[in-house]
Amino acid sequence: MSIFKKLGWYFKAQQRRYIFGILALVLVALVNLIPPKIIGNLVDAMSKQTLTSTQLWVWLGLLIASGIGQYIFRFGWRVAIWGGAAQLEKTLRTRLFWHFMKMDATFYQKHRTGDLMAHATNDLNAIQNVAGAGILTLFDSFITGGTTIIAMMVFVDWRLTLLALLPMPLLTVMARKLGMRLHSAFAESQAAFSRLNDKTQESVSGVKVIKTFGQEAADVDDFNQIVDKTITINKRVNFLDALFDPITSLIMGLTYLVTIIYGGWLVQSQQISIGQLISFITYVAALVWPMFAIGRLFNILERGNASYDRVMSLLNEQSAIVEPQAAVTTPAKGDIEYRLDQFSYPDAEASALVHVHFRLAAGQTLGIVGKVGAGKSTIFKLLMREFDQYRGSIRFGGHDIRDYTLDALLGSIGYVPQDNFLFSTSVGNNIRFSAYDQGQEAIEAAAKESAVHDDILNFTEGYATLVGEKGVSLSGGQKQRLSIARAVITEPELLILDDALSAVDAKTEAEILAHLHETRKDKTTMIAAHRLSSVMEADEIIVVDDGRIIERGTHAELLALNGWYADMWDKQQLEAQGGLD
Amino acid sequence: MAKNESAWSQSIPMKQQFKIMRRLMTYTKPYKVQFIGAFVAAAALAIINVLLPQILQYFVDHYLSKLDATVAVILGVAALYALGTLLKALSQFFQSFLFMMGSERGLEDVRRKLFSKLHQLGMRYFDQTPAGSIVSRVTNDTMTLADFWNVILSVVVGLFSVVSSFWIMLATDAASAWLVLAFLPVLLLVIWYYSTFSSRVYRQMRSKLSALNTQLNESIEGIQIIQQFRQEKRISDEFEQTNQAYLDTRKAMIKTNSLLLSPIINLLYTFALVGVLYGFGQNSMKHYVAAGMVYAFTTYVSNFFNPMTNMMDSLSSLQDGVVAGSRIFRILDDDEYAPKQNPDAHAVISQGKIEFKHVSFAYDGENEILHDISFVANPGETVALVGHTGSGKSSIINVMMRFYEFGQGQILIDDQDIRDFDLADLRKKLGLVLQDAFMFYGDISSNIRLFNDAITDEQVQEAAKFVQADEFIEKLPGKYHAKVIESGSQFSSGQRQLLSFARTVVTNPKVLVLDEATANIDTETEAMIQEGLKRLRSGRTTIAIAHRLSTIKDADLILVLDNGRVIERGTHESLVALGGQYADMYHLQESGHLTPAE
Repeated sequence: MSIFKKLGWYFKAQQRRYIFGILALVLVALVNLIPPKIIGNLVDAMSKQTLTSTQLWVWLGLLIASGIGQYIFRFGWRVAIWGGAAQLEKTLRTRLFWHFMKMDATFYQKHRTGDLMAHATNDLNAIQNVAGAGILTLFDSFITGGTTIIAMMVFVDWRLTLLALLPMPLLTVMARKLGMRLHSAFAESQAAFSRLNDKTQESVSGVKVIKTFGQEAADVDDFNQIVDKTITINKRVNFLDALFDPITSLIMGLTYLVTIIYGGWLVQSQQISIGQLISFITYVAALVWPMFAIGRLFNILERGNASYDRVMSLLNEQSAIVEPQAAVTTPAKGDIEYRLDQFSYPDAEASALVHVHFRLAAGQTLGIVGKVGAGKSTIFKLLMREFDQYRGSIRFGGHDIRDYTLDALLGSIGYVPQDNFLFSTSVGNNIRFSAYDQGQEAIEAAAKESAVHDDILNFTEGYATLVGEKGVSLSGGQKQRLSIARAVITEPELLILDDALSAVDAKTEAEILAHLHETRKDKTTMIAAHRLSSVMEADEIIVVDDGRIIERGTHAELLALNGWYADMWDKQQLEAQGGLD
Repeated sequence: MAKNESAWSQSIPMKQQFKIMRRLMTYTKPYKVQFIGAFVAAAALAIINVLLPQILQYFVDHYLSKLDATVAVILGVAALYALGTLLKALSQFFQSFLFMMGSERGLEDVRRKLFSKLHQLGMRYFDQTPAGSIVSRVTNDTMTLADFWNVILSVVVGLFSVVSSFWIMLATDAASAWLVLAFLPVLLLVIWYYSTFSSRVYRQMRSKLSALNTQLNESIEGIQIIQQFRQEKRISDEFEQTNQAYLDTRKAMIKTNSLLLSPIINLLYTFALVGVLYGFGQNSMKHYVAAGMVYAFTTYVSNFFNPMTNMMDSLSSLQDGVVAGSRIFRILDDDEYAPKQNPDAHAVISQGKIEFKHVSFAYDGENEILHDISFVANPGETVALVGHTGSGKSSIINVMMRFYEFGQGQILIDDQDIRDFDLADLRKKLGLVLQDAFMFYGDISSNIRLFNDAITDEQVQEAAKFVQADEFIEKLPGKYHAKVIESGSQFSSGQRQLLSFARTVVTNPKVLVLDEATANIDTETEAMIQEGLKRLRSGRTTIAIAHRLSTIKDADLILVLDNGRVIERGTHESLVALGGQYADMYHLQESGHLTPAE
């Protein structure tokens, strides 16, 4: 029940809707009592042959009125309460989405996309169920159940009522117990379903490998085995599911037996009339759902409660990245200075970066090279404030980067990541992603600068071609170049290429670097790369190994140093000449 | 963001819908026993539902109203009622369990069919269809079929219930029975109106929901980009629009259901009840009307109307089923098959000589990608393919591996047509090393073995040793049984490459086909890979795609491709001497590394 309290804020905000809905529910419950009573009265009057025409018209008129009343009230509560549930789901989804937008890298390290999706779909569904089915079952079971029982006692016989009600709590127990079992069986079935999903995903992604090795039949066998297991698991779900109705019938059967035996005796001993017995039987039928609802209520509330707690704990997570009060709002511009003493990723013991100090004057280019995992990308991540918990400081244009508003800092940076994520919208929209007010001219200029314009013109719909599932499939190089275009369209103060040229060939790389050189004369650039040719023209190159700067200087200086850089240079040269063969 | 035009937003013509439904029904055939069993149970249930009120009616009219019910009579009636209830419970169980199992097995069959059909399709199909949508056909759409078949059950159950109630009403009081039946056209009208009206709203709701989830998923995956470019506000606003649109359609759906679903059935039931009671009431003024009969009749009227809500509620699943079915059949009917071998293709590769004679090829059958390609690779020789992206290098490998059917010309292996070879032998003897070293969920040795149980553990280890992958494997916890998670993301790309080499080595192919990775991996890994490749190539005919000319300088034949044609051919020396495109490329690559910094 605590979940109702937790959702109190919502019910309060939607007070009118819920008062109206619950009122309609109560009216439905009350009106529901009328038809059995009328039927009973009519039966009595008929069997005693005392029914008059006027009486008949009055009773039937009342029946019609109750029918129409029920229609109106039922419509009313459904729209109010189901609508309220839908509204709640939407409200929470909006909050969750905005929260996702604001959270930092630590958050995304901890929660995978699939989990976040599950929270935003399954958990929200369980919560909206509380505001819909939860409210309904609560009021239905207590109001409909209560009034029906009272009516049975008042209109028929209290002893018969008590005796006939004895088996009813079993329904509640069954709905709850079986419901719980079914829920856990269903969770297993879901897991089996995701195994099937993963298997199919893998086979489709790896189809070329499977074909290459001629293992189609073996793969199909493997799939079939997973299917067999799924069937076994679903058999249990179906079994439990199929038990609901029969057990309900059996429990109701007990009630009917009591009614036949004791009720029959009451009629026989003339303590109640036949009409009353028939009213009673009709009331019993009306009790099935409320009893059932009590059992379901607990399951709905339990699930809703767990989901609500999960969603709230997600919403309560704070981004470690905060803007200071009185933050600098003028866009960052000027020299970049790293005075970083130590940084390690959250939950990691080893240091990711140690003593990284360098100064990059405005308009210069910095090259960063080193092995995979040496810490090149980490240097950029700190600059873009993905993580703040480091010792030392990073300054941009004379201010600590943590003193800027995020808009002022990030607005000055154009970042091209290693994995070039593009959105499933048009090519043009992907390029003007960060400058949505830009027109076709600016888009094309950026595309030309990134040497991707000609590729785009070759797509069926040019700049309007959709990217991704429903559109064109792009090569790795095309994706990288689109990412570059996306970053340069704002002509950022600082451009970061994080191994962003790995999938383009040497010729295109040279072309892009030349373009950048030309258009970004007085702008700052940072390039991380494996291919040393990408950085050799930089004003300074730092070699990073295991989070430390092990060498630094210009290309010529580094060659003269005869260290890692020179070694790598030789290797890459040798490779170009075929020396390794 | 994306314009989400899913199948939900289109409506399928009626005729097409029936065709799809009929075809979907054929998948239930193997499970006749279950389905017929379920229908028998449903029929039994309908009869029991009719008989139970009869017991009470008899009890009331023959004993209670005359006040001569003895204890024996009361207990006898109770026992009979108990027996009836027991039978009712049993038929309820079997109706539901048998049906669910029948549809479960039926849908799993569709899944199996789909999956094995996928493996018969050629690469072209996979080029054109996004992986996500294929997966969703195999899993989600088949899942929907269960709901679809459920519609059949609820319609049959409803029909049984309506027919049996009407029949017993007819037997009890014909005039009142016809009166109730008069409501049937009204009911049908409501059902028809509801189904046409709600299906439209429902389709809109589903397509909005799928758009909503797509946007959500994409925004989470692209969060780094969104934040870096400060687009949180814009993306949120776009999401909010979809969120609101979904809420609107959902509210419309709720209104439709509230207006036209169970409340209206209840209303009609009340009207029918009034009619019936009026009849009985009028009669009672003329002659005696049995109380038990009135009770029984009201129960029948409710039995007559009750299943309607269920039936109408399930109608939306009918729509789902048709949409899912149409998408499933699109795959099952796809004739983008993998290339076929000749009818009795039993030739076996012994030497490993490869020859292309005037081969041409087009992915779509129209725009030729390869024109008149000819070359010979004698056993043990290396032929290298170079050229820009899109020049046709990969296409040569694709047709040689029989991923795609080529057009004109001939491909000969050991001087015999490639179509004469047993496909299994081709796959075994032509060892393709792919650019993208795809890893499967499992362990190291299952990834090297790739389902082929004929390969022993020793062979797996030898292969790993041969390509020098053993060094890192031995360091893993569990060594050859170390777990490989989804797409092998715990390994570096170099390690994945080595594993992929081991995969090829273990099958000991006669011919090696190399598709060199374009991505620049770091030089140390590169050295590791080059060494592995060198070992692989020794003693094997090799067809290699190379991006770095340095790796293929010692090839016996180098083909320079441009726009699907061989524009230059020869050895490294002769091509450099020729001073053509190859020489240009070579100098460019060389100079990229050699020109000192300015």
